[in-house]
Order: sequence, then structure tokens, then C-alpha cells
Amino acid sequence: MLDTASETTLLSVRGLSVVADGPDGPRQILEGIGFDLKPRQILSVIGESGSGKTVLARTLASWIAAPLRVTAGQVLFKGRDLLADRAYARGLAGREIAYVGGNPAGALDPTMTVGAQLVEKLRAVRPDISASDAKAKAIRLLQAVRIPAAERRFHEYPFQYSGGMMQRAMIVDALISDPALLIADNITQPLDVTVAAQILKLMRELNSEFSTAILFICSSLPVACDASDEVMVLNKGRVVERQTPDRLTAAPQHAYTSALIAELPTLWQEGPQRRRPAATEKPIMSVRGVSKAYETRGKSGKALVQAVRHVDFDVFAGDNFGIVGESGCGKSSLMRLLTGLERPDGGQILFQGEDVGAASARRLRELRREFQLVLQDPYGSLPPQSPIGAILEEPLKIHRIGNRAERRDRARAVMSEVGLHPGLYESLPTGLSAGQRQRLNVARAMILEPSLLIMDETLSALDQTEQGKLLDLFERLQAQHGFTYIFISHDLTMVRQVCSRIAVMYLGEAVEVAPNDRLFFDPGHPYTRALLSAAPTLELRRYRPEDCLLEGEPPSPIDLPPGCAFASRCPQAFDRCRSQNPALLSRGGQALAACFLNPTNEATHV
Amino acid sequence: MFILRFLARRLFQGAIIVFLVSALIFTLLRVVPGDPVRLMAGGMAPEALIEQIATDMGLRDPIWQQFGRYMGGVMQGDLGQSFVRPANGAAVGGASFDDTTRSERAEVLTLIAETAPMTLQLALLAMVFALIIAVPIGVWGGLRPGGWPDRMALYLSSLFVSLPNFWLGIVLALILSVKLQLMPAIGYQGFAYTILPALVLAIEIAPFVIRTLTVSVAGVMRQNFIDIAGVRGLTRNQIVFRHALKNSSVPLLNLLGVQFSMLLGGVLVIEFIFDYPGLGLLTINAVMQRDFPLIQGIAIVTAAAFVLINIAVDLIATAIDPRLEY
Repeated sequence: MLDTASETTLLSVRGLSVVADGPDGPRQILEGIGFDLKPRQILSVIGESGSGKTVLARTLASWIAAPLRVTAGQVLFKGRDLLADRAYARGLAGREIAYVGGNPAGALDPTMTVGAQLVEKLRAVRPDISASDAKAKAIRLLQAVRIPAAERRFHEYPFQYSGGMMQRAMIVDALISDPALLIADNITQPLDVTVAAQILKLMRELNSEFSTAILFICSSLPVACDASDEVMVLNKGRVVERQTPDRLTAAPQHAYTSALIAELPTLWQEGPQRRRPAATEKPIMSVRGVSKAYETRGKSGKALVQAVRHVDFDVFAGDNFGIVGESGCGKSSLMRLLTGLERPDGGQILFQGEDVGAASARRLRELRREFQLVLQDPYGSLPPQSPIGAILEEPLKIHRIGNRAERRDRARAVMSEVGLHPGLYESLPTGLSAGQRQRLNVARAMILEPSLLIMDETLSALDQTEQGKLLDLFERLQAQHGFTYIFISHDLTMVRQVCSRIAVMYLGEAVEVAPNDRLFFDPGHPYTRALLSAAPTLELRRYRPEDCLLEGEPPSPIDLPPGCAFASRCPQAFDRCRSQNPALLSRGGQALAACFLNPTNEATHV
Repeated sequence: MFILRFLARRLFQGAIIVFLVSALIFTLLRVVPGDPVRLMAGGMAPEALIEQIATDMGLRDPIWQQFGRYMGGVMQGDLGQSFVRPANGAAVGGASFDDTTRSERAEVLTLIAETAPMTLQLALLAMVFALIIAVPIGVWGGLRPGGWPDRMALYLSSLFVSLPNFWLGIVLALILSVKLQLMPAIGYQGFAYTILPALVLAIEIAPFVIRTLTVSVAGVMRQNFIDIAGVRGLTRNQIVFRHALKNSSVPLLNLLGVQFSMLLGGVLVIEFIFDYPGLGLLTINAVMQRDFPLIQGIAIVTAAAFVLINIAVDLIATAIDPRLEY
């Protein structure tokens, strides 16, 4: 009887409830969770932040500690209860039940090579395997997850791996003991879309090859649907629905699921759209052939990292300009140049006709009144010891604006404008949520009444709902104050909603600059197509991953190949691409792209 | 290759540091009051003789000339001769200026070479004692932040740090040597004489080691890779001994480097109390006798030792944590 049960279900969760003990008594995190998982099945668990997904993952991995506490329920693994038998659960950890988390960067000891740690882990859970066998297996699996030059990489340290490679190494770490169950907790979240798409593809392949059941926890519905056989929706600690992806999107049964689907921004279809401002023809900021290289010490002495290379674009007044690209493409270096935090090595950055890169320190400070920056990290960007009012008044003090009372009034006015309660004036930012913190950051930036706001991944730390609220706020502020925004982001769906013109960056270059619709419906660069093919969406894709998806990762910006920087990953590259770098040329109608595949007859150099 | 370039760069920087230290010490010594020739020749010597000796020794030349001459010697490994000490060991200070028994003056390098190994021995033993005392307490405290081992580590370090070393030296000498007769205290006639001063020094250093270790072990234990190691299937012992300790050893190593350099620079009070014939005692005597060449020599040797120890510390730290680029 038991045998047949374990044949059909690997994991069976029954009435699982978890609470978090706090000063106000226990708070319910999970309530009566019940589901079964069969061998070789992939089950996605989705829900917004705070729905209890991660607590569920950790409970199953026997990794919960105070203040979390299981109050009821059973977790049956092959018929035995993990919660009742702690020793049994400990014996399974890392061997039969493997866990991969969403933060590959800190998941391994930085002072030991990746290979040594893979071997250490395998031998910790399977002491009968010899060191040389373990090494052979680790290298074989590193090859299986397509880590280039696996034998050499085996001897490298975690910091020598990129984020995507590290996540693959962690998957190897989980699979090396041939577990029956893999718990994947938000594994694609920190990765770039093209790399995340590779990881998902890889996970499906591994699932069929190694017959591991996978519990795939994730906060994005499109990703969850892409990845799994069935999707389970979690809302406020309860399972509200479980269906196959097709049925779930076609006929959601629970109101929460319907709301989740309706809220999803779309790339190509008419979805909830936002007003995109009409671009004027008056440039407020012009970037002309800007370059920046940083010196680093590489393996063989000094080396130049070419972070930004000959970037050219105009931002028009009243516009929403988007800069997209994956990590390491030079977005943030460009941001530092645009805001005058650093000076370019070559080229000009004209703000209302004045060169920011050549301005004196004093003039730059005056200019900064006109363009302000809002950063990505809601926690690191605010001084924890200053009251909110003081944080807001500081820019006014620096620029010697108003007296004490006027500054105070101004700060309160701005607070109510961004939706922070003026009663918070005296409090410290410690108690604020991520969304409130970003509102405070926006308030601090706009208190000087600038004309240009540069948003560097301002919304990426926030969940879908909070993002939507802040975008509404940006829209309202733009209508009231006539701001121009530059959004620097890796999130194509966000950019699609709000930006009128978009620049796509790859390895320090702007490979395409085009109006919104043109970029999404008629992209002029294969890299843009690859980004679009990898973007998480439920829609029928205009660009199929099979045709456009990239293998591998970008080359290092230290030794750039001659010719087009994208040639090494481009599915359509030909000989000319490897010897000559295409210039950013007009394709008509304000669209520019740097690719030899575009017809050259109408092209004119800009 | 990497390591050679690193060594070349750091040794070059070190040479500059040693040069600057010498220049500073040299200048300062020349501007402080007190004429060394008067001390050498004795209070009864006539003024003209003092002037003559001073001129013969080049002490009336401009400072930069004296310094140039001195550094020229240093380059060739010649730290000069002591103003005061004769080569045969008898003291000259205060002797009559026309004393014919006065012999050749002692080489500074020889004086340092005789005493430095004694201080090195004392410093090494003190470090060993300090680590034996501090590592278990510090690691245990770091593994249970906020718990009683952590509080005990804090109380113990507060206690250790507030014991004045001269008092502790005397008390320990009284208890361990005089009452219990376990070990000798004063002077030096064998290795046993090092134990007591080393113990006093170890108790002085231990609080810093304990504090550094509790903080760094607690910090490492909060990191993601430690947290996740249990889920990956590693045992508690593997996590603590193979990963946590290795990662928290870099801050400790830096601290030990600084502490060791300070010990080598001469533990003045302790060597004085125990009459331990090391660099510290030599320094005290040199200062009291206005023995400029000796003071300079000790300063240069100490600065060089400091530079070398720091290079070694950085090399070991990179071997432990390869992220620390040279």
C-alpha cells in the first residue's frame, strides 16, 4: 500500500500551517496548504510578495527557524513525515531534497573554488563516493549545464563566475546528489531575461534527463507558466487554485488569479496602457559620441574596461526616454556620466545646450538643480539616521534655498504630492516599505523642481502592484510639473508601458534607438529581437525564442572582439560582422539601429 | 609573475616608508634639547674639547649633510656606531673624558642583532599564548551572538583590557615566581625566562583578538553561504571549521600583523619590568643616554620589520581569500 503510494506521489503536503511569532502574537503565514507532487513533475507556485511562497519552500527544505513555526500539518516525503521526524529530514537535506535559492551570488564560500565545494557537498551527503569520482561527476554536470570550459571553471572561485554561471553552478550543486525533489526558489529572479530564459530551458532538459521532480517558486506568472506542467496559485498563505498553465490563463477559476492575469502588462496586445507623452522636437539632453573606459588590474597587468562606447542619442523635453539592456551593458556607467558623477573620456553630454562633462564643479552643482537622479536600492539610498523631513530639506540647504520655515513647508508639500503622509515628517525612514522609500527618493529628487529626472532601475526592487502605483505617480507628476524622465531599466514590459523612445544597449553601445511601437513591432537589431523573445509574457510571442534566443553570455568588455560586439552571440552573424563594427544608422521615422542586415539604401549617417 | 610584481611594488613602497621614517627620526633627534657629546665626554670635559669631538664626528655639519652621510652608510648596511656603548660592553656614559680605558665604540647593527632575536622570541611566544587564550573564547562568542558565550567574551576582554600591564607583570611575578616558584621572572638565562613576560603581553593582546574574532565570526555566520550550507547537506562541523573560520580569519590576520609589528618594535614597559634583554630595553637605554645612532638604527629596523610583516600578512590574506587582489 505504502509502496504504491510512493510510486504515484513523491511529496504530499497536508494541512500545513506556519506562523511567524512577533511582538503582537503569532501571524499566520501559511494556512492549510495541501498538494501532491508526482515524481518527474514540475509544479510552479506563484503569488505576490508576502504570499508565503518562500516560507513554503523553506519549510519543505527543512530550513525554517524562529520566528517561523509550523503549527499544523504534515509534509510526507515518500510517505514519511518530515516535520515529525527531524533526523529523517536532516538526512534528506541536500541529498534527496535539494534547494536552489534566488541569490546565487552569496551561495558559496568565496574563499574556496566552486569545484572543491561541489565535491565537498557531494561527499558530505554521499560519503561512499570517492573524491575523484565526485570530481568527475561535478565536471560532467558543469558541462551538462553548459558552463564553457568546465574543467578549467571547476578550479575557479565563485567571484570569477558571472551571475548566470553561478546560478547554473548552484543547479549543479543541487543535482549532483541525484535528488528526487528540487526546490527552486525564485531562481531566475536576479538574472537577465536572456540568461533567465536559458536557465529555464536548461531546467526542463535536466528534468527529463535526470527525472527530478521540481517545485518551482516564482513571482512572475508568465515565467511560471513557461516553466511548468502545473501552476499553483498562492494568495495570503492559502492555495487558491491549481491548474495546467494553458487552462489557468484561459479559464482562471479564482478571482485572485483573474486579477493577476488582468494586471499583467502586455508587450504587443492592447492591455492596460499608459499615456505616453508625445515627443517634442526640442532636445533637453543630447548625448554625442560619449565614451568611458575604466582601468582595472586584470590577470596580465592593467586592462581597460570599455564601459560606454560612442553612445549617441537625444532626449526631448517632456519625453519618457528608456535605456534598456542587461547587466554589464553600461547602463549604469552611462547614468554616472549623464548625471555628471563622472566625466566622459570622449564626446559631449549637452544639457540644455551646456556640456555637463566639461562643466566646472561649481557649475555642475548649479546644473544639478535641473537634473536629478533616483536610484535603484530603496534601502542603501537613504541615510537611516536622519528624519524624513531632514532628508528632504537637505537639497534645499545645499542650494541655499529658502529659510527654515519655507523649507519645512516645501518638504511637507512634496511629501503629500508623492503620497507620503506629512505626519511622517519627524520619523526616521527605518519603518518605511520599499515602495514608500522610493516615493521618498522621488520626493527628494523633485524638491528642487528639476526639469529632468533620471530613474536608474528605480522600480526594479518593487513588486508588480507597487510598480503600477509609482508609475501612476510619475505620470501625474509629469502632467503637473512637465518633467522629462529617463528610465534606465532591464525590464522591457515597464519600458513598453511608459517610454516613448527607447535605446537598447549592448556592451557599452547603443545598438538601437527607436520609438516605442517601432522597437516592439519592427526591431532593427537581432539583440533587440533576442530580448523580446526572452521577455516574460503570456502573449503569443512575435519573436520565437527558438529563432532568436542567445546562447552563452556577452564577451568581457576588456577584450572586445573586432567588428560587431554582438557577433559572437548573433544567430545571423556573417563574415563582415566579425571584422567591421556597424554604425548606428537611420532606418527612417526616428528609428536607428546598428546592424548590417538593415537595408542600406535609405540609410544616412547621423 | 603576479607575486613578483606584487613584491617588487610593495618592497619599493616599503623602502620609501623606511626612508621617510629615518628622515623624520633623524631630524627630530637633532632638534630635541640635550647634547649627546656632553653626555659622552662627561660633565667635566672642557667646552673646547666637546666642540672638537663634535666637529670630528660631524655633528656640527648641516642636518641634511649628516643625514646624507648616515643614509649612505645605511645603504651599505652600516647603521653607524653607538655614541655611548663600547664594543666590550662596559658603559661609558658619565666616565671621565680622559679615561684611557675607553675602547672602540659598539656597532649599532651588532647591538640590534644581539637583542632582536630575544624580542622576536618574546613576541612569537606572546602571540601563541594570546591565540591559545583568545581563539576558543572569540569563536565560541561569535557562534552564539547575544548568548552567554558572547557576553562572557565581552566581559573577559573588558577585564583583560583594563588590567594595567605593569601591575599584572608584578602580580604574576609575585605569584608565579616568588610564591609558587614555577618559573623565573627577572633577567634572561634561558627560554623559561620568556614565559612570564609573554603571558603578560598575551593577556594584553587577547581582548583585541577576542573582539575581532567574535565580530568576524558572527558576521560570517550571518552570510548567505553559511545559511544555505546546511540546506545543501553540509554538517555543522564542516560549516564552522571549514567555512566560517576560514572566512573570518582575514580580519584576524590583519590584526595579528599590526600587533606583531608593535611587539617587535619593542615592548618597553614589559621588558623594562622583567629586565628582559630585548629591543625594548635597548631602546629605553638608548633614549636615556641620547644615543642617537642607536635610536635611529632601532627605528629603521623596526620600520623595515613593520613593512615586511605587512607584506607577509597581505600575501597570506590573498592566499586565504583570493578576492583580495594584491
